[in-house]
Amino acid sequence: MAGSNEVNLNESRSVVPLNTWVLISNFKLAYNLLRRADGTFNRELAEFLDRKVPSNSIPVHGVWSFDHIDQRTPGLFYRLYLQDSHQRRCAGATVIPDMDKPLSTTDIVPVIIFFHGGSFSHSSANSAIYDTFCRRLVNVSNSVVVSVNYRRSPEHRFPCAYEDGWTALEWVRSRKWLRSGRSESESESKVYVYMAGDSSGGNIVHHVAVRAAEEGIEVLGNILLHPLFGGEKRTESEIRLDGKYFVKLQDRDWYWRAFLPEGEDRDHPACNPFGPRGRSLKGLSSFPKTLVCVAGLDLLQDWQLAYANSLRSFSHHVNLLYLKDATIGFYFLPNNDHFSSLMDQINNFVNPNC
Amino acid sequence: MDELLAVVGYKVRSSDMAEVAQKLEQLEEAMGNARDGISQLSNDTVHFNPADISNWLETMINNLDRAFEDSSSSDYDLKAIAGKAIYTTAARVKPSPAESSSSTRPLVLVDSQENGIRLVHTLMACAEAVHQNNLSLAEALVKQIGFLAVSQVGAMRKVATYFAEALARRIYGLYPENPIHHSFSDMLQIHFYETCPYLKFAHFTANQAILEAFQGKNRVHVIDFSMNQGMQWPALMQALALRPGGPPAFRLTGIGPPAADNSDHLQEVGWKLAQLAETIHVEFEYRGFVANSLADLDASMLELRPSETEAVAVNSVFELHKLLARPGAVEKVLSVVRQIRPEIVTVVEQEANHNGPGFLDRFTESLHYYSTMFDSLEGSVNSQDKVMSEVYLGKQICNVVACEGVDRVERHETLGQWRTRFGSAGFTPVHLGSNAFKQASMLLALFAGGDGYRVEENNGCLMLGWHTRPLIATSAWQLATKSVVAH
Repeated sequence: MAGSNEVNLNESRSVVPLNTWVLISNFKLAYNLLRRADGTFNRELAEFLDRKVPSNSIPVHGVWSFDHIDQRTPGLFYRLYLQDSHQRRCAGATVIPDMDKPLSTTDIVPVIIFFHGGSFSHSSANSAIYDTFCRRLVNVSNSVVVSVNYRRSPEHRFPCAYEDGWTALEWVRSRKWLRSGRSESESESKVYVYMAGDSSGGNIVHHVAVRAAEEGIEVLGNILLHPLFGGEKRTESEIRLDGKYFVKLQDRDWYWRAFLPEGEDRDHPACNPFGPRGRSLKGLSSFPKTLVCVAGLDLLQDWQLAYANSLRSFSHHVNLLYLKDATIGFYFLPNNDHFSSLMDQINNFVNPNC
Repeated sequence: MDELLAVVGYKVRSSDMAEVAQKLEQLEEAMGNARDGISQLSNDTVHFNPADISNWLETMINNLDRAFEDSSSSDYDLKAIAGKAIYTTAARVKPSPAESSSSTRPLVLVDSQENGIRLVHTLMACAEAVHQNNLSLAEALVKQIGFLAVSQVGAMRKVATYFAEALARRIYGLYPENPIHHSFSDMLQIHFYETCPYLKFAHFTANQAILEAFQGKNRVHVIDFSMNQGMQWPALMQALALRPGGPPAFRLTGIGPPAADNSDHLQEVGWKLAQLAETIHVEFEYRGFVANSLADLDASMLELRPSETEAVAVNSVFELHKLLARPGAVEKVLSVVRQIRPEIVTVVEQEANHNGPGFLDRFTESLHYYSTMFDSLEGSVNSQDKVMSEVYLGKQICNVVACEGVDRVERHETLGQWRTRFGSAGFTPVHLGSNAFKQASMLLALFAGGDGYRVEENNGCLMLGWHTRPLIATSAWQLATKSVVAH
């Protein structure tokens, strides 16, 4: 037993930089402490351990942020990240948002609604790892990022996270000051909305996008970064990579049990949107183009690749970025080529005319 | 320090990275081997300072080693001491010398405030005009603020009104002349205590640290720099009374400014606490000390007893920042604290930098801070308490914006800045742990009037904030020569 553990640990150590290995292993360890066998979650310890950062209206590397609290839904807030140029600068270092003007009257500024990962249970929009990621995303793509602090399981199961995603989409679309682009009249300008998410965030993006397409709400593109999908069947990659690169299959199962309605199995369409209980998206013409990024050492890759294939089969546009030697979480630290590949792809995806 | 990890909240020296990786592997294996290892680490272990990964792992490895010896339960009781304290050894990671948060200015808006943004712009423009000494423009803008404020609702209107008044005072040179009568401000503070959990949190977390520092001591002495109405002490006394093995003898020295009417209010407070002590059978001794400033104190005045017989805690809630109005005062007080040789020093301060050299930055920072503060009061149930709390905070706003020099006493500084001061003065941190965090969170859950309060852990300190904005911070300190690993 101990022998095989050693082999596993050494394998993951050889494919990522040491500080990345420490970071992700540290999370893995903390997460192991938080999940209880009876399905409950040690939320107080989770909040104690999570490294959080406040918003900052003083630009750092050209990016400033502020939080908008939705008082109708407990815990729901959005953290907005903007570049220096999107501001009403006041004397001194600080910025106050100007809600009377659009972001730009000449250029298109993509607004990316971002859903953080954490398997529906962990992290927050103000977690340091995600605050840092969103800031980098802004600079790489010259966009505005709206990071959504959706309600988490097991306290708030399906469909709470999707509802919060929908609330966020409606809020973003209705902000006049998030509009951009050249337009003749105010009624023509619009918010250029994209959605992005990693892990459970990617799953949320898909489901919110389906609803948007059904209701005729325009989303220009989806970015799914090793999204969380699954099913009852065990795929080849799940069996082959179980426990090898930071992730165990039984842990994945725990998170689905915590998120899905009680008594449900992993073929529930939230988990398996194109499975036996799923539905076809053929004919849903306003479903956005999708960028799917798959990490080659992620045990869920068979589900993610199947997802991309299904979308193609429904005649939807898919860009697939397959990063052969990447593990989950490769994008938390910008110390590897996978990170730059991903950022390039995202930039091209949301700025197609540049 | 590894920069990439630092940005995401973890402090690991690059040279230690391999060792930390090894500890992670070691702990994973130990967890696999220990029976109920995970459950023990999750439920029983008190965690400290997760940012320092190396020490965090070390604590857990040690805990698992002791798994079979030590089976004391730690049922959390809001009143009693929770479990055993484990102090980490004097931090292997020194606090970085220039750690200040002067470059962080959190901004939190609620739904109603999007309309209020114009008001904020006007306030800023007015402050700018004042800063540039363009008083006629400033005057016009102050009047405009008055008109705009009326059309607002809730917190925004009140905050704008207080800031406008403070700006007007500055424009017209009407600096508040009479210092606030202490009995009035005490009364305001009592309402503030009832309306919102900030003071309760401050007292609770400070008391938790004091309790843990007093473990095993038979005679204890608390020196309170912020005596006021003594609201912090009944809870501590009750916790001491419930201590397994019986309470220690408890001595309290309460320090405060003179009362306006020359009454001996400190003695009255002491008398009430003595009555409480009698009912709960705690041996109690009290001395009230009147001082215009903490800097007037010398250790010799405090009748200290030999440290072998009496353990001392020094407590300061929202008092230390006032010393920053006079050069040298805080340094003097900290050196007196060193002479006291306390087991622990507990400090609670506002989490904001309202002491910067530039008026405009101070104005903006305080505008953001008090907007969030007032927002958090909006959900209060009792309207009289709420109004009094707003007056209490309004006086702080006036002081920050309209006063200068020795009159400007609300010189709040951030946790990062206080860390630097305490470090330079010869103190090292005593970390507040997951038990205090959990209990503070539970206390908040019981508190009616708003579920936006959040407790956050910050490198061994605890902060209470409204949604994503920390507003007050509790830290604890010991003398640098003392590093204890308690079992």
